[in-house]
Amino acid sequence: MDTLPEIAATFKILLIGDSNVGKSSILLRFTDDHFLPPDEASATIGVDFKVKMLDLDDTRYKLTLWDTAGQERFRTLTSSYYRGAQGVILVYDVCSRESFDHLDEWFEELSTYCTKDEVVKMVIGNKIDKEAERAVSRKEGAEYARKHQTLFLECSAKTKIGVQQAMEELVSKIAESPTIRRSPGRNTVTVDESVSSGYGGCGC
Amino acid sequence: MGKDLPYAIDVEVPITAGELQVLRRQYEREGSKVRVQTKFNYAWGLVKSSARHEQELGVQLLHEIHKEFPERKRECMYYLALGYYKMGEYGSARAFNEQLLALEPQNKQAMSLRSVIDHKVSQEGLLGMAMTGGVVALAGVVAAVLFKRAK
Repeated sequence: MDTLPEIAATFKILLIGDSNVGKSSILLRFTDDHFLPPDEASATIGVDFKVKMLDLDDTRYKLTLWDTAGQERFRTLTSSYYRGAQGVILVYDVCSRESFDHLDEWFEELSTYCTKDEVVKMVIGNKIDKEAERAVSRKEGAEYARKHQTLFLECSAKTKIGVQQAMEELVSKIAESPTIRRSPGRNTVTVDESVSSGYGGCGC
Repeated sequence: MGKDLPYAIDVEVPITAGELQVLRRQYEREGSKVRVQTKFNYAWGLVKSSARHEQELGVQLLHEIHKEFPERKRECMYYLALGYYKMGEYGSARAFNEQLLALEPQNKQAMSLRSVIDHKVSQEGLLGMAMTGGVVALAGVVAAVLFKRAK
């Protein structure tokens, strides 16, 4: 009955960034290949969570994706979910200079709550389908990411462009990271206890 | 597949005693002039606790915020639903979650919580039926034995 390939590792990935930049939309595109028009989408309350399998070079990874609310009022709450993350995606809206400028604050937040050095970071500029309204150039985004030594990509959750690629790049970077702890004997990666309990009982 | 099972992550991830302590201290420090943000943070922490009396206090605080601050209604509805769910009061949990869905029919978190509640209720319903069934069967056996003896 068990025909599923074995899961090589489980990675905890967190999305952070200002409200309304499209974190949930990126995730919805990635996990369900779906997009909600802005008038139907609602702001995330606290944190949302999704699980997705990703196959890369014949290896299966289980991703636990933590979609944090961008609104200031949830900042204290969301910070408690940083623990144990192996990957963090910082999202801004290419049409919002403000959301780009706030990346500094998000990096600061990240260094406060994510003390582990081995966390892989990626900066994503979303909404490139709205080219006419663009306020942050691709070059500027790339330079910013280089300065912070992170991965960088632009995408559009609406048109799909870049979303899958972003996740694949992030995961392969995490997978090749030498500091990721592997539990002895079994070919699985130990994450934080809060993660493993996060989807307990779903191993059917 | 695991990913198709309903989940509500805030139900499943507990808060540490230390984290809750930080939120409580801040709440107590602000005393009678407590800011709504501080109160909300503490209420959220309480609802995430696994101790019943803390969940109850969390729900109480959320009710207060819900009444006083219309701009915080949506998150209060969501966490009230979560809190009642954790306390096993599924009727109230459902009521608050449905209120949120009436406002935001496409809210994925509320949709997910709805299936979590439904799943739980149907599970417990089955369990209840199984138990009732067991009692009825046992009563039947007892009655049969008594009947036999009486003969």
